Order: sequence, then C-alpha cells, then structure tokens
Amino acid sequence: MIAPGTHLAFQTGAPVELEADYVVVGSGAGGAAAAATLVRAGRSVCVVERGPWRDPQHYPLSVYGAMRDLWSDWGTLFARGRSMIPILQASCVGGTTVINSAIVVRTPPAVLAEWAELGLGEVFSEAAVGAEQEALERELGVTRMHGRQLMEHSEALLRALRSRGLEGHALDRSARDCIGSGQCLQGCREGAKTSTNLCWVPEVITRGGTVLSCAPVGRVTIERGRAVGVSGRFVHPAPRRGERRRGARFSVRARRGVLLAASATGSAPLLERSGVRSAALGRGWRGQPGAAMIGVYPHEVRMERGTTQGAASLAYRSEGFKLESLSLPLELLAARVGGAGHRYARALEEAPRMAMWVAAVRAQAQGVVRAGRFGQPVVRYAPSRADTERLRAGLGRLARLHFDAGAEKVLPGIHGVAPELGPDELGALESAPLDNRCYTWVLSHLFGGCVMGKDPRRSVVAPDLHVRGVRGLHVVDAACLPTTLGVNPQHTIMAVARIIAARVVNEENVA
Amino acid sequence: MGWWRRICVRVMCAVLPAGKETPGVDPQCCDELCERIRREAPLLLRMTMHASVALFVVCPLVTVGRPCPALWLSAENLDRHAAGMARHPSYLLRQAMMMLKTVAGMSWGTDPGVRRSLGMEPYAADPRGWRRS
Repeated sequence: MIAPGTHLAFQTGAPVELEADYVVVGSGAGGAAAAATLVRAGRSVCVVERGPWRDPQHYPLSVYGAMRDLWSDWGTLFARGRSMIPILQASCVGGTTVINSAIVVRTPPAVLAEWAELGLGEVFSEAAVGAEQEALERELGVTRMHGRQLMEHSEALLRALRSRGLEGHALDRSARDCIGSGQCLQGCREGAKTSTNLCWVPEVITRGGTVLSCAPVGRVTIERGRAVGVSGRFVHPAPRRGERRRGARFSVRARRGVLLAASATGSAPLLERSGVRSAALGRGWRGQPGAAMIGVYPHEVRMERGTTQGAASLAYRSEGFKLESLSLPLELLAARVGGAGHRYARALEEAPRMAMWVAAVRAQAQGVVRAGRFGQPVVRYAPSRADTERLRAGLGRLARLHFDAGAEKVLPGIHGVAPELGPDELGALESAPLDNRCYTWVLSHLFGGCVMGKDPRRSVVAPDLHVRGVRGLHVVDAACLPTTLGVNPQHTIMAVARIIAARVVNEENVA
Repeated sequence: MGWWRRICVRVMCAVLPAGKETPGVDPQCCDELCERIRREAPLLLRMTMHASVALFVVCPLVTVGRPCPALWLSAENLDRHAAGMARHPSYLLRQAMMMLKTVAGMSWGTDPGVRRSLGMEPYAADPRGWRRS
C-alpha cells in the first residue's frame, strides 16, 4: 500500500500497483499544469514521469552533464528529412521547463482565430485563454528581465532594434529571482526559474497525489473503449556497471481518466503503442525551427553573463519569423562556429566578444511522428523551401542588426557563404542557398501529433477534448495544439492544459 | 589508452587545435571524455562518434587529394583536411564534422585551462544526483 503524497523513484522487485482518480503522463508544462488543476479540485492524481527527479543542487554545470542527466536521449533525437535537425527536449520531472528559458508570451489572438476555424473557438476563446494566462502570470511570478539579467548580449539587440525603429522588448519570464547566470540550458542551479518540478509537482504531493519518476509509460490501458490506466517499467537513470537498468513493472489504475502530456514527440507514439487507431495520429507534427547569427564585437560581450535569453522582437512576425537573443555555453558555441582546424581555433578565441541572436521560423512544413522500434520516437520532418527562405531573411535581418549594434563582423554558419562577413558583404546572405542542408537548424518548439479539431480525418482529439473513440483519454500538452504559434509556447501549453483539466472536472461534476 | 582511443583523441586535437593564445583540445581531458562516453552514453551516440572519427581518418582523398589515412598527413595537410571536411559539399561529411566538433567542443569547453584563458570561471564537477524518494 502506498501512502498518499508519495514520490516513488526507481523500484526493483515486485510490481508496483497504484490507483488514482486521474493519471497524468508527463510532468512538464502541460502535465504538471493539468495535475495541479486536478488536485486543487480535490481529485486524487498520479503523475507518471519518464525521467528522474532532479533538484537544482543536482543540476549539472557542463553541457556533457546536461546531455546525460537532463536532455531527452542525450540530445540524440533528430527530425529526419532532407536534413537532420536536432530536437531539444528534457527528460526529467519538470520536463522541458527545467532546461528552457521560461519565456512567457501570451497566445496571439490570430492563432486563437485559426483554432476557432478548426472548431475550438468555444473552449479556447480569447477571453478564456487570456484569463488563464493572467492567472498563470500571477502564480508563477512572471517578471520582465532588466539590468543585470539582460547584460550587453541582450541590451545590444534592443539597442539595434531601437536604432531601426523596430519593435523590441526585454522578455517576460517566470524567473523572478534570475541572477543572470546563463545556465538555463543546464537547469537553473539557483532555483530562480519556476520550472514545474519546483512548483506544481511538489504541490501535487503536498495535496496527497503520487508521483512516479524514472517510470516511462509503455502503454495506456484501454478497456471497452475507455482509458482505465497506464503501465510500464521503471528504468534506472544512471546504472553502474553490473547494475540492472530495468526495474519493477508498474501499473496505475485510473478511476476517472488518463491525461497525456508526454510531449509532442512522445504522446502520439504512446497512443500508437496503446492501440489507438486514427489516420491523423502522428500527423500534423510541426515546429518552429531556428538558426543563429553570431556577431563579433570590438569589445567584450560575455554572453555567458546575463540570462540565457533576455530580449526579443516580434517586428517580423508577419514575415513568419521572430528574433531573440540566445547565449550558448562555450562547449556548444564550439560546435556552432563554422570551420575546423587552426583558423577555427582562432575564431573561437573571440568567444568573449561574441553575441548570438537567433531567428525562429513559424514554419509551414508538417511532419510525422511515429513509435520507433527501439523505444525512441521517429520524427520525419523537413522545413519547406518557403521556411528556409524565411530563415534566410531572418538571418539577414540579424546580421544587419549586429552591425547596427557595433559588430565588426558576423559568422553566418551557412554552408556556401563565407565563414565571416563584414558590413559590406551582406549581399552574400541574400543569395545564400535555399537548400535546408546548408543551415545549422535547431528545433525546440514542437507541436502536434495528436492535434485537436473537428475534422476526424485530420484530428485525433475532438472538440469535446476526448481522444476520438476512447472515453476518459485526453491530451494536454503541445501534441494537441493544431497550429504553430509563432511565439514561445510554454505559456500557451500551460493555459491549454489547465483549461482542459478544468473541463474534465466540470464534465465529471455534471455527469 | 587503446589504439582506437588514441586515434579518436588525435582526431579531436586536429579538429580543435591550439589558437594563438588559447590551448586546443587537451589529449588527457579528451581521453577522459571518451572514456565517460564509452561508459555512459547510449549506443547511438557512441556509434555516431566512432563513425565520424572513421570518416575523418579515411577521407583525405576527397579533401586534400591524398590517398592515405588522415593521421599520416603532414601538420599542414591535416589542418587543410579538417577545414575541408567542415565545408565539404557532402552533407554526410559536414555532419560527421559537426559530431566531431560537438565532442571536441565538450572536451575543450570544460577544460579549466581553456576557460581561464578566455576569462571564464572553470566548472565545478557535475553532481549527478537525483531524488530517490
């Protein structure tokens, strides 16, 4: 018998069997938000998380440590298409909220209007989403970055945007006490970032819920058209030589329902493994891929000081991309700077004078996510030519902004373009190749795979928020979002998860 | 250090050598990193790293026109080979170089000597703990 308010990590021996009103799979932005809503409504909840629970004192400092301890599959998950694009996600209690920059941006009204056309306007109205996001901002202590949090790396971007009369703003983040240690990607060791492992997951336990960590769910149990629980097997997060990696089996019985929040790369494969059949399952997978432009300045910028992401611009949203400052740890900067050998080593000596800004594209391309043979999901996705054109335009704008801010040269990192460009050589960017293999893309904002909508051929989740054909099964993370957002998605994911969880409770009360 | 590990370390040192004032990949640090990768990393990552090292070794013919293993090249040609692989028209070769730079960068970027030379704080050891209950 397991007492209420318990956290169970890796277990060996006899199978672990639990029961709760609701089972929530995943503890990131969507899962934790939904779980907190359910426990506040007095329901018993069991959160089942694939990764281990690490507290800030356990977070690594190095990128190697972050890959090993926090990033999903050591950062080896790629979107495969014409090019291989790395997908950055975390696998731990708190999910990707542990390693992202905790950027808070409200859902653009234009996106909600697109959702309304898909039959979701009643549930996700501007008023409903806005009210939820306002409540979230108060609860998470969202503040605008300033002073020491920004530092030269982000200030330079804001200066350059102002000089051109373009919109630019310091970012709102749920990191009230951020000291600008530049360690977001490795987890904030100061505990300043309100990742869900520090707020809602502990709240679930305090209110009598149960949390299983190191517990990847193998399948959702569906009986007579109703989701009645989940099962899987514990996995040791750091087995020593001779130690067994696989632990005890576990199963959690759900009295009322199962809420999936296993991420845009995990929820659809989990439904596939569980026998859910839908032509739309795994489809409609989208992203906001981006690439960086590095500027080298005559003075020290020290992008490792200040918050990882401090400033952004939505001035080019109508052109399909946004601009942001993003600092990289030295290890990753070494991979991003172009070239190899002595010339490359000399370029890296300029690291203290480098500032890196990124263009992230609201891509039109759609891909597919499937359950892989060896447990890892398989993502097939390639940015379209139009997406690559947008990225090229974004990188061109960033290069100009770097020079406006006083950079001596920029490092485009585009195959087919010189490794360094001066202010008079920017024409090379306009004629840069449109083959997406020529760019150093990264995917961090992911959507879809189990999208919501009224058309059964194109959506897995119906407008009543149930997975079609299965009662008591809901998707509450980025996997259910039917479009890209063009802005950072965490705030939208949290709001959507809370709205769905609240409706689930309401429906149950009505029933 | 086994013969293959020695090759891996030499390849990383060729990819990221010393600059004017900054040390390059330290063979000792790199060997330790390779050992940690061998013990801890998933098979896919290990295989990709070793395949990238193998590609680097066997392809000087396509970068500098020399039909010999990369590590037999003169210092000057080895440098040209590394640079040529990073900008080669073949996406496979460029991706292999990206993998090598990622591993070399992890060794180089955590090296306290390198970090000091760039005015950055050296890293403390990674804690590697997790909540057991």
